[in-house]
Amino acid sequence: MTQTITIDPVTRLEGHGKITIMLDSQGQVEDAHFHVTQVRGFERFSEGRPFYEMPSLMARICGICPVSHLLASAKACEAIMAVRIPHTAAQLRRMLNMAQMVQSHALSFFHLSSPDLLLGMESDPAQRHIFGVAAARPDLGLAGIGLRRFGQHIIELLGTKRIHTGWVVPGGVTEPLTPAHRDEILAMLPDAYANVKLALTAYKQIADSFKQEIDVFANFPTNYLGLINEDESIEFTDGALRLIDPTGAIIEDGISAHHFTEVIGEADENFSYTKFVYYKPLGYPAGSYRVGPLARLNIVKSMGTPLADAELALFKQLSAGPVESSFHYHHARLVEALYGIENIERILADPLILDKHVRATAGVNRLDGAGQIEAPRGTLNHHYKVDENGKITWANLVVATGHNNNAMNRGVLQSARAYVKDGKFTPGALNRVEAVIRTFDPCLSCSTHAFGQMPLVMSLVNPDGEVVDQLIR
Amino acid sequence: MSSTQARCLILACGNTMRSDDGVGLWLAEWAERRFKDQPGVRVLADHQWTPELAEDVACAESVLFIDCSLATAPGSVHLSSVEPAAAGQGINTHHQNASELLALARDLYHSQPQSAQLLTIGAGSIELGEGFSEAGTAALPRAYKLIEETVLSFCVLKKN
Repeated sequence: MTQTITIDPVTRLEGHGKITIMLDSQGQVEDAHFHVTQVRGFERFSEGRPFYEMPSLMARICGICPVSHLLASAKACEAIMAVRIPHTAAQLRRMLNMAQMVQSHALSFFHLSSPDLLLGMESDPAQRHIFGVAAARPDLGLAGIGLRRFGQHIIELLGTKRIHTGWVVPGGVTEPLTPAHRDEILAMLPDAYANVKLALTAYKQIADSFKQEIDVFANFPTNYLGLINEDESIEFTDGALRLIDPTGAIIEDGISAHHFTEVIGEADENFSYTKFVYYKPLGYPAGSYRVGPLARLNIVKSMGTPLADAELALFKQLSAGPVESSFHYHHARLVEALYGIENIERILADPLILDKHVRATAGVNRLDGAGQIEAPRGTLNHHYKVDENGKITWANLVVATGHNNNAMNRGVLQSARAYVKDGKFTPGALNRVEAVIRTFDPCLSCSTHAFGQMPLVMSLVNPDGEVVDQLIR
Repeated sequence: MSSTQARCLILACGNTMRSDDGVGLWLAEWAERRFKDQPGVRVLADHQWTPELAEDVACAESVLFIDCSLATAPGSVHLSSVEPAAAGQGINTHHQNASELLALARDLYHSQPQSAQLLTIGAGSIELGEGFSEAGTAALPRAYKLIEETVLSFCVLKKN
């Protein structure tokens, strides 16, 4: 008799999901699925709205990465307006995106994943949370909170609100940076550097004790996609996309936001509301790829800042080609956080950063526009069509969790095969299956553009489709 | 610590688009106006209480948490003392309740407010909408009164 294991909800994610592990008649893992059970909605909600409302509407998709949706949406609107935003506005948006990335990576590493990393995958679930981290490593607990506050406070200083700021608008931003706010951000930099360096040091000290997890946490060849500058350095807000194959060879370079909509497709699977995104010329699923910190570090030649470049060099030593195990997302995330702080410092040194010309204006000059950026968890593309009055007639969002969906499902299967044996599993084994998903730091609200929340579960299912065990937290 | 020191920190949370769930934010706005000339009173309001607020809690001499409640009768207003959460209690990663924030302040910053109170307003409705239910609206005068009394009492407390 076959069985199915369900993990529902998968914990410590941005949102809720469900994992189903199907066993064959010998009790061995036959297949596994990561389900996102929320329902899509925002694309339909937006139809009929004026295009200039889209950034603030789209930011409501998520409380974790509203800045990402604001930026991608504003860029799509600017494609409709056919405007180029002022230099200072572009720089301020880059700083906002860096702040968002740093605070989001801090949340992922310190709040969601460090309980597994510091306390162990087998540790008592009752202690495996931020309290446990605070007790075991109070310095890291403080560093995590400090790094989150750093990013959130910059967002608040720039946009007056930590969440759902309306500061980013089509054409630029509403207000310039004040000297007082610049100085306040500069004053926060030393602590931010110290906090991320502490995390990098701690991570490198413990990473070697997770060799088994590194081997089976979505450790397989895939393609990788991310934004890159012309000098092949990492980019989050502008630039164009590069897609590489499992050997590191470039499949396609210079993919603009509009071209993205021509070469990227979205497949459906009957077990999830989240799309499975793929590169059309290779078809589905061969054209699947990974995005986010691991992918970004795999596609670039440099970070473009000295401290992060030194860390990138160490990261690249993990593999002769692209780094394959998703466990290394944790490492990549910290390298990017360091880069984010350096980049903020560099942006603040721009002599035009206090310039008051921060917004361009225009009406509808095109009926179709797309914008793309790198969200903390990967590439984000917004594509809108409008009528001659600027009312939205169609919208589509392609988010990081959709790009990573195929790899996450393969990763769940790989880890389930490693940790679920003879139809038996331990809480530690199931935590590892969940932890694979956590490495990707998926945002399930974003992936479905969901309204509200739904729970998520782990189920063990027999060959007859009967649920024989279920873990619900 | 970099957070602003406060004699009394008012910490409210809620969602203004979910009817009575927004009452905490409404009361925070009222408190901000009411105590704008009162030195040492600081008001923070957000969608939810995140771990980062532990630093603000640790820096405050006293804290008044304000939230709506689904566990109490619609329109009922309760004021009660809050103690730090017990170690080992399962907690959320994205948001904390008042007890958990106090525990994080204690564990990470080795600091505790001298007094911590939680004011809850029983939700009559948390459906989509920007107005309050009849029960929620009726509760406001008593909530104003309790906030005023509590904050003024906090302002005469001395840090140990």
